Amino acid sequence: MAIRRLFVANRGEIALRVVRAAQALNIETVVGVSAADTESAAAKLADRAVVLGPGPASKSYLDARLVVHAARETGCDALHPGYGFLSERAILPRLCGQHGIGFVGPEADMIDALGDKLRARAMAAAAGVPLVPGSDEIASAADARREADRIGYPVLLKASAGGGGRGMVIAHNGDEVEAGFHKASAEAMAAFNDGTLFMERFVGRARHVEVQLMGDGNGKVLHFGERDCSVQRRYQKLIEEAPCAAMPDALRAQLHTSATALAASVNYRNAGTAEFLYDVERQEIYFIEVNARIQVEHPVSEMVTGQDLVGWQLRIAGGEPLALEQDDIRVSGHAIECRINAEDPALDFRPSPGRITRWSPPGGEGIRLDTHMSEGATIPPYYDSMIGKLIVTGDTRAQAIERLSAALADFRVEGVPTTIGLHREIVSHPDFVANTIHTRWLEQTLLPGLAIAAE
Amino acid sequence: MDKPIRPEEIEALVAEFEASGCAELHVRFEGFELHLSSDPAARTVARQTAPSAPAEPDSPPRPAPSASSGPAGADDLDGFEIVRAPYLGTFYRAPKPGEPAYVELGATVSAESEICLVEVMKLFTAVRAGVAGTITHILATDGQMVEAGQPLFAIDAKG
Repeated sequence: MAIRRLFVANRGEIALRVVRAAQALNIETVVGVSAADTESAAAKLADRAVVLGPGPASKSYLDARLVVHAARETGCDALHPGYGFLSERAILPRLCGQHGIGFVGPEADMIDALGDKLRARAMAAAAGVPLVPGSDEIASAADARREADRIGYPVLLKASAGGGGRGMVIAHNGDEVEAGFHKASAEAMAAFNDGTLFMERFVGRARHVEVQLMGDGNGKVLHFGERDCSVQRRYQKLIEEAPCAAMPDALRAQLHTSATALAASVNYRNAGTAEFLYDVERQEIYFIEVNARIQVEHPVSEMVTGQDLVGWQLRIAGGEPLALEQDDIRVSGHAIECRINAEDPALDFRPSPGRITRWSPPGGEGIRLDTHMSEGATIPPYYDSMIGKLIVTGDTRAQAIERLSAALADFRVEGVPTTIGLHREIVSHPDFVANTIHTRWLEQTLLPGLAIAAE
Repeated sequence: MDKPIRPEEIEALVAEFEASGCAELHVRFEGFELHLSSDPAARTVARQTAPSAPAEPDSPPRPAPSASSGPAGADDLDGFEIVRAPYLGTFYRAPKPGEPAYVELGATVSAESEICLVEVMKLFTAVRAGVAGTITHILATDGQMVEAGQPLFAIDAKG
């Protein structure tokens, strides 16, 4: 039942990551590439690469039928969706199932259920997991006002079919919430084809913490510690850490217990991450959502636990039991990941596709770089602009920051603008070092500070 | 083998081959393998022969090659228009199994002529010639998966 040949339905650094994990388990690999990615690192490392379609994602990576057709015709018995693209679209595991291809992830119905944020909240509530004080579905503007009065302002109107920070509107009083109801509903309908809204208390100074989970599909769920992803810009993470050093042990234990209980209550299968809002002032944690896939920032959890999460994904998908106990997983040391993008922070983070003319990465103790890039490689214009993840470990957070600063100073990339310079500013900032940051810190404090400095 | 082959012997073999006018020569015995070809487009297909690389599964035997069926050397296609697969899928030469193929070698086509199907998960799309002319090469095999951009036909647009 172990996987014999794996189809990798993604690109960039995660495709390379999955190919490497498969090779470590002696699994053959076929990568589906777009015409823009035929010379990619994953295509070169895999046993075979097949061209799905032209560059634009909608004609290649986002076409589930193309992807599954390719997997079937190349004799693959399993498929890994990576992150983004189709990784949380139930049609992919459904089509895989119809064609005898094992899906490396949860069942289609679970992906559907967790993708509906209202249903996910209900699951969490049923498992006794604390939620952000909030509402069920809001049927009207009057309803919105009533709920907001009950919850307490400010409130956040959210799309049930949304996620990842999309389709959210803040309201500070009754009039704003009624107006916001109409706006948010229309935006949700346009973006997700579903205008259903609910509401949550808006926490001003929050940290984003999440728990890495792995389930065997039969009720056994393990956690691999938590991550702190509070350095964000427009709800996109820039820096992630493991563990969350700003959380007392008792609360951390509650976080792990809640996340694991939720996943176990639904017999969660394969990798997933439960995301929480951490209200530092109130010292409370609230469930936000579950991401039913491997995440970009999984390496920090790997570094502090010594576990290969993608490897576990493949083994579980291949029918192996989750032959590990919670006590076997120890978190030691501290890891920090910087997502390096080909973007120009000076030009409002405009993505800058192009050719890398110089690629001089850092190296040495405690440094891991997950990247598909190299000198001479091109960044196509069709996809996100992430060119690599720099992950640095240390015995303590302070040591990790020291090593990270040195690594960022050594990291030279030419040919495209990158966010390496911005990361240097972040990790040297006193707030970051003191770890008093929150999810709006980058946009409210650091970036405006930098703009002033540039003038 | 009693003694290893010497460089002068290989040179003599090559000279004989060139003088002979043969297209190909394969020599193989224990510890030694030599492949000579007079076709400038000949190339080792190392990937497919590596034991660890997955072979294309369930491939039917190659159809008996005529001068212009199957993958052609780059020189053969000089000056012709290549029709390529718009995306990955299964290549079909006929509208339905058992029916005659859309086109055969030598067929005259217009730009709008449908010349094959590419199927993805039971969704069939007809591919059009794109240019008026004559079909000179059929470059893909009926019922086999083709990749996006893979050459399917060559058309002589001047003929």
